[in-house]
Amino acid sequence: MKKLLATLLTVCMLLSLAVFTGAAADTQPVTVEFWHAMSGGLQNALVALTDKFNAENGLGITINLTNQGGYTDLSTKLLGAIASDTLPDMAQVYNSWIASSLDVVIPLDDFIAADFDNYEDILPGYRAEGAEFGPTYTIAFNKSVQVFFYNKTKYDELNLTAPTTWQELHDVTKAYYEATGMAAFGYDDLFGMFLQYMLQNDAGFVADGQVVFNNEKGVEAMTFLLDLFANGYARTAGEDRYLSGPFNNGLVGGYIGSSAGAAYVKPDGFEYGAAAIPVGVKPAAMQAGTNLTMFAKDPAKQAAAWEYIKFLTSTESTVYWAMNTGYLPIRQSGFESDEFQAYMETSVVARACYAQTANMAFESAFPGAQEIRNKLSSEMEAAILEGKTAEQTITDMAAAAQEILDRQ
Amino acid sequence: MRYKSAKALSKSLIYLVLTLGAVTTILPFLWMILTSLKGGTEVILMPPRLFPSVWHFDNYSRAMEAAPLATYFVNTVVVTVTSTSLMLIVTTLAAFGFSRLKFPGRDVVFGILLATLMIPGEMLIITNFVTISRLGWMDTRAALIVPFMASVFYIYLLRQFFRKVPDTLYYAAKVDACSDWRYLWKVMVPINKQAMSTIAILNAIACWNAFLWPLMVTNSETKRVLSIGLVQFQTEAGTDYELLMAAASMLVLPIILMYLVMHKQIIKGVTQSGIKG
Repeated sequence: MKKLLATLLTVCMLLSLAVFTGAAADTQPVTVEFWHAMSGGLQNALVALTDKFNAENGLGITINLTNQGGYTDLSTKLLGAIASDTLPDMAQVYNSWIASSLDVVIPLDDFIAADFDNYEDILPGYRAEGAEFGPTYTIAFNKSVQVFFYNKTKYDELNLTAPTTWQELHDVTKAYYEATGMAAFGYDDLFGMFLQYMLQNDAGFVADGQVVFNNEKGVEAMTFLLDLFANGYARTAGEDRYLSGPFNNGLVGGYIGSSAGAAYVKPDGFEYGAAAIPVGVKPAAMQAGTNLTMFAKDPAKQAAAWEYIKFLTSTESTVYWAMNTGYLPIRQSGFESDEFQAYMETSVVARACYAQTANMAFESAFPGAQEIRNKLSSEMEAAILEGKTAEQTITDMAAAAQEILDRQ
Repeated sequence: MRYKSAKALSKSLIYLVLTLGAVTTILPFLWMILTSLKGGTEVILMPPRLFPSVWHFDNYSRAMEAAPLATYFVNTVVVTVTSTSLMLIVTTLAAFGFSRLKFPGRDVVFGILLATLMIPGEMLIITNFVTISRLGWMDTRAALIVPFMASVFYIYLLRQFFRKVPDTLYYAAKVDACSDWRYLWKVMVPINKQAMSTIAILNAIACWNAFLWPLMVTNSETKRVLSIGLVQFQTEAGTDYELLMAAASMLVLPIILMYLVMHKQIIKGVTQSGIKG
């Protein structure tokens, strides 16, 4: 079955290339089904861009947008669609969702080589993520990065500045806590916090199906992080799920969260600031958000989907998208455009993101990655709440992760 | 005299407990409605404020704009009513078969059906999805209705009620030349009306609230249901609680109305069957 599929895909690829080497005008009138997980304002921006593409592409291509709920719902539905061979022509995905099913994903390298506007212009971190599995399977779309949000009014009052290193973070949050009696720090994504710290200290996480964080570096990272919580300098989001809520109400002095959550930062009676996240031995800012991927088997649909991908990732579209959603432009030229530069003057979050574009790193995807992420997030939360030692936490986390890896 | 005051005391105690119970039940609804009228920052204010400082009635129109809630509403009603009615018919027939009729392998088949209750629903999602798509039912109402037409749990429940009906009634009916079919609809169903209405209500509530399955099997907005509309207010980085609550208020309204109209049957059904609502 796999072989048959592979042959089929190869034939499709060749056919699509044949279409390509012709001219864009060969693209036939087709409808492309696109599954996404953008809701509310994000969906409005996506609809606006897509309406524009549908109206102006001049090739008779219609993109049919289908909202599939949140990320978890979309990934479940894609899983079902892979099993029943009913995939849409294209979808938003995290790389980890397709890590075990690369045989149904269309590699994009030939499309990029044949017809794409300056691929090098896409930020290096995004290109690296797209080619994580060898061939380029995905192209960046709605990308965000971790940002440090802080209570600027309080920081000014206490004569504090946003920390640039983890040690500074420790000192600043200690000072804040001692002056106000309030928690000074939090991290929306507890597992991300640990991974981020490890990545910045040149420590590994998982390599070749084996856990590699069960060592001194892991314990050091965990000791540092757990101490922040044990001393009262940091708190978890708990029932609020996102720290933007407690932050808005002045219950926490600062937190690290996704730049995509900037729309939810609406402080009650104070001014907020945003800065690049602290760095360790080397800088690494975790990029998040999904990518575009293609499943269409029909060459005509592939060509049409490619036209749409080109449109969505163009400088003009990516700038529009970023300014209307809080995500980032995926192109260097997007950041440098007059429009976005002017926007950055008004947006402290956009400036904090821009400051990190050279340091972006991505979370590697491997079979079991998502399950490990979920499992270890709750392990960390438990460690914080139960006051476990760092050694014990690392041992438990390593055992839990290895168990998941062994099952793959 | 002493007897009277003791009686008054116990009565006031009862009323106190009932009042507390009523307040605890009403509070979440009240909170939902008040939250739906607050501004974005006020929603997450700590300590919380009961009444909005500015009443944002526009949250309702904003929520309506965010998703085609009217279409979703009609779909939800159609799906809930159809699937509950069909489920009732299937469940009644099956429960009758398993309780009254005698045929070879009856208990084995019933045992196998019961065993399926042990498979968690999450595990069935993908396989059911594959089945529905192979049947070519993706994005149809059938996909929303047919899988819920048979429920082993309800069959089991109703079978227990049917078994409680004395055999003598059945034999008396038989003597009067009453067929099984007629006996079912003329004797069994009227006797077990309460249990059946409980099942219908439980199923209707489950249908009304279902989220993952309807999302999985539908793609077009014309086929989707209300619960999917609620996702519109949640993103990976936060939730617009005030809009979510506005939509949720509209979503639960029909259920509350249904309760107000049918509360006698619901209470009777619940107390008689011992099922918590």
